[in-house]
Amino acid sequence: MESIIKMFTTVSNANNGSVWLVLFIGFCFGAIILYSRLDKFEKMAGFMIFEDTLVPRMAMTTVALSSLGFYFLVDAGYASYSVKPTILGGLIVGGVLFGIGLVILGKCPSAFFVSVSEGRVDALVGVLGGMVGGAVFTIAYPFIEKLIGPDLGKIRLSDLFGGYDLIIVLVLSTVLLVTAYFLPTINYVDPADEIK
Amino acid sequence: MPKSIPWWVGGIGMSLLFYLSFSVWGADRPIGASTGMSYLSNMLFGLSPEEYKYAAMVENSGAWEGVMLIGVFFGGLFMSLFVTKSFHISYIPTLWKERKNKSIKSRMIWSFIAGFLLVFGARLAGGCNAGHILSGGSQVAVSGIIFAVVALGTGVITGRFFYKKKGCKV
Repeated sequence: MESIIKMFTTVSNANNGSVWLVLFIGFCFGAIILYSRLDKFEKMAGFMIFEDTLVPRMAMTTVALSSLGFYFLVDAGYASYSVKPTILGGLIVGGVLFGIGLVILGKCPSAFFVSVSEGRVDALVGVLGGMVGGAVFTIAYPFIEKLIGPDLGKIRLSDLFGGYDLIIVLVLSTVLLVTAYFLPTINYVDPADEIK
Repeated sequence: MPKSIPWWVGGIGMSLLFYLSFSVWGADRPIGASTGMSYLSNMLFGLSPEEYKYAAMVENSGAWEGVMLIGVFFGGLFMSLFVTKSFHISYIPTLWKERKNKSIKSRMIWSFIAGFLLVFGARLAGGCNAGHILSGGSQVAVSGIIFAVVALGTGVITGRFFYKKKGCKV
């Protein structure tokens, strides 16, 4: 209980929006995930076994539109980039583990909360597994820290090419939007949805 | 109200939300989820920032995402109760029944392992698909692109070995 209050105070003291705004952002995030069915096993795992194309199409649209918007927001001074460091070892090993978990559980961290809110017990078990995973990571961090390098810094694609930010963003979002549009619609129709 | 929205409406809605979160009018930071997961698990298991280095590292951004995840849960709950009306207790997803097995025990054990791998892997990489692929990709971050390729590639390969081929009857 004490720690929950501490969590809320940390957020209200930080300069990243009020607690209500953060809750609101989360609320919308969860609502969009549920409404577009992203939390469903059939959509997320189905994407990786080529049974459904909702996830890649929606993710591509989001990244394409967001990257354009982000570029102009940053350019106008209304936002700043906060890029994650490129820790090569951690990214590759972590990416492999994450990919295995993603296709077996069929949801990502955040979508599994949405799944729980829909009454899915297997998602709840996944959250518990994630809780244990997080705790083990925290305890093992001193050992892991030595293994995850090398850190290449917080780099963006334009840093590799020495500029051309706008061109990269335009090319990227065009390619993504066109791909998303032309990807075939494969829709896994879940019989469980039809029963009412 | 329709029971679901098409991919392009979802994509537009999601990017509008990202603008809000990313800009100075919102939270001035991108959306992420797995740091919050890590924060909540430290909280649950009582791993204090004074004792554990990593708990101290995720103290601030983890708290933000932890609060956001509470919002996520209620956002999903609101929609599943009032809009899509899809709330019901279920144990095994349909596709899993078709491609894997019908045992609740097996699904639960695999869910637990997969949840563990998801959060552990996301922490190793410094983010999950929300932070790396959606937020990272939107900022054209190199880390996000590497993560997307590795994670999705592994997912596709694992899926081929893990699940039965289509049309194979149990």
